[in-house]
Amino acid sequence: MKNYIHSKSQFMIRFLIGLLAAALLPLFIKTPFAVHVMILICIWAILGMGWNFIGGYAGQVSNGHALFYGIGAYSCAIGMKSFGATPWVTMWIGVAISVGLAFVLGAPLLRLKGHYFAVATMAIGESGRIIFLNWSAVGGATGVDFLEKTKPAWYTMQFTSKYSYYYIYLIFVTIILMLTKVLDKSKFGYYLRAIKANEESAQSVGINTSRYKMLAFMLSAGVVSLAGSLYANYLQYIDPMVVMPLNVSLMICLVAVMGGIGTVIGPVIGAIVLTVISEYTRAAFSSVRGFDLFLYGILVILIVIFLPDGLVSLFKRKKQKVLTPLEMEGKIK
Amino acid sequence: MVIQCIFEGLVIGSILALISMGVALIWGVMNVLSFSQGEFLMIGMYITYLFNQKFGLDPIFSIPFAAIVMFVVGVLIYKGLIRKALKGPVLSQRLVTFALSMVLVNGMLMLATSEFRTIPKVMFTGTIDFGFLVISKEKLVPLIVSAIVTLLLFLFMNRTKSGKGIRATSMDKDAAELVGINIELSYTLSFGIASAIAGVAGCVLSYYYYITPTSGSSFLLFGLIAVALGGFGSIFGAYAGGILMGLVDVFAGVYFNTAFKYVVVCILFMLVVSFRPKGLFGK
Repeated sequence: MKNYIHSKSQFMIRFLIGLLAAALLPLFIKTPFAVHVMILICIWAILGMGWNFIGGYAGQVSNGHALFYGIGAYSCAIGMKSFGATPWVTMWIGVAISVGLAFVLGAPLLRLKGHYFAVATMAIGESGRIIFLNWSAVGGATGVDFLEKTKPAWYTMQFTSKYSYYYIYLIFVTIILMLTKVLDKSKFGYYLRAIKANEESAQSVGINTSRYKMLAFMLSAGVVSLAGSLYANYLQYIDPMVVMPLNVSLMICLVAVMGGIGTVIGPVIGAIVLTVISEYTRAAFSSVRGFDLFLYGILVILIVIFLPDGLVSLFKRKKQKVLTPLEMEGKIK
Repeated sequence: MVIQCIFEGLVIGSILALISMGVALIWGVMNVLSFSQGEFLMIGMYITYLFNQKFGLDPIFSIPFAAIVMFVVGVLIYKGLIRKALKGPVLSQRLVTFALSMVLVNGMLMLATSEFRTIPKVMFTGTIDFGFLVISKEKLVPLIVSAIVTLLLFLFMNRTKSGKGIRATSMDKDAAELVGINIELSYTLSFGIASAIAGVAGCVLSYYYYITPTSGSSFLLFGLIAVALGGFGSIFGAYAGGILMGLVDVFAGVYFNTAFKYVVVCILFMLVVSFRPKGLFGK
């Protein structure tokens, strides 16, 4: 118990240091591009943490979360463009729609296992993109351009300064991070880990597996939808190819996997590393088409192969290896 | 009209079947969901294009070349990359193939630019008109080639020692290893064969589909759904899944709405897996 409290306070100290660093960082950074990268890191961190609930903790690897990302983005875009509604409200409408949709889709989806679940979520995600692409009421393939200049910035959430975006998004990252931390050590978190380890065993000890999987799916859909809203407000323009392609779904997984799935801080680390790699290679090699993603792919392969447990495993102290009796014998001799 | 649709559906279906057999092979043997299969198809298309430009070869003659080249490429990729990835968790294996597909698409983009290419002169042109059915001759090629490849694969898996080894590995890895089957060889062969089949699919597809670095990606998802639909247990399941997807694709396009045919495919897929979570023919 003492140990547990100790680790908890240790986490708080690290967390506060990290937060302080993140909050002070803009003071030293004057290039708009660097702030842009930091804003994207916030968005990807939220995406990764959102996906982590279902993919990391519960072990149900969804490859279709771009659907919820798109719903979040569209709810803000349409809300502003057609109704002049403030994103502070519409982002929660998006969350509600995403959570509701996750509830409806979850019933058939969550019965599937392993690769079947992955393929099914992928199919659903792509169908969502096709529907938005051909839905003229939401702009179809041309997308939605919802730059609004007549209303005050705090209402439209469209700021001229990138720093405002950064601080607001940092608050969201902090909230989701705290939520993850709380769930990590809650009963809910342990139930999800039990489901991931072995669903049948989890069921046999009395965990209502389908209920907890569903809750995790809904939670993760809601968080990802929130990230979509934030992204749309930053960009002020969205179309289905920007927010809903299959690649986005897979990148969301990648962020979490690269950082370390099923860990609190993993997705944030993954978001930092991946966003920095992708944005800076894009900026550096814009002259040769394709080279940035080529390089990005190679780096991803290297990281995934050499650190299969994610970048967090770099920071963890090596656990004492449990020796088998045979090895023990060898040691004694 | 219905008969025409069936024909067109079979043609698209047989190409999808080629991809899905490769996916099914890798899925079944290595338990990896391979995202790079669509890119192997794309490389197959470029090989065909290259042979056509350099030597004026009809795509049908580049099939053996493409198959051999892609087999070698597949084996090299397995040895250099997948084998290492197999040591990690299932999810990182899948993401390695996704990153690989990104590398291949963008590498090809650098080599060949994003220009849309088509193969200008082909041996089979013109149509056969039955009155109730118009067959364009170049569309017969995928149909026949796909059937032959399936037959060959079936014979290989059932009649040869290495094929039986692959099947044993897919059933129970540890037991197979215990009775002296070379697992490593099975893995290498299945990845090579899967790539070769995708290369062949690229050849026959280049008869009537434009060639660009992203050509393969659109077929991948259909291939994956086809496998999950058929159940990954058997080559037959994957083939049937592919053909079924092709038919649904064409019928939904003609009788419903071209834009939403994809959604129809997905709904069908969801319906099937709701009742049979392991696919139509899955065990």
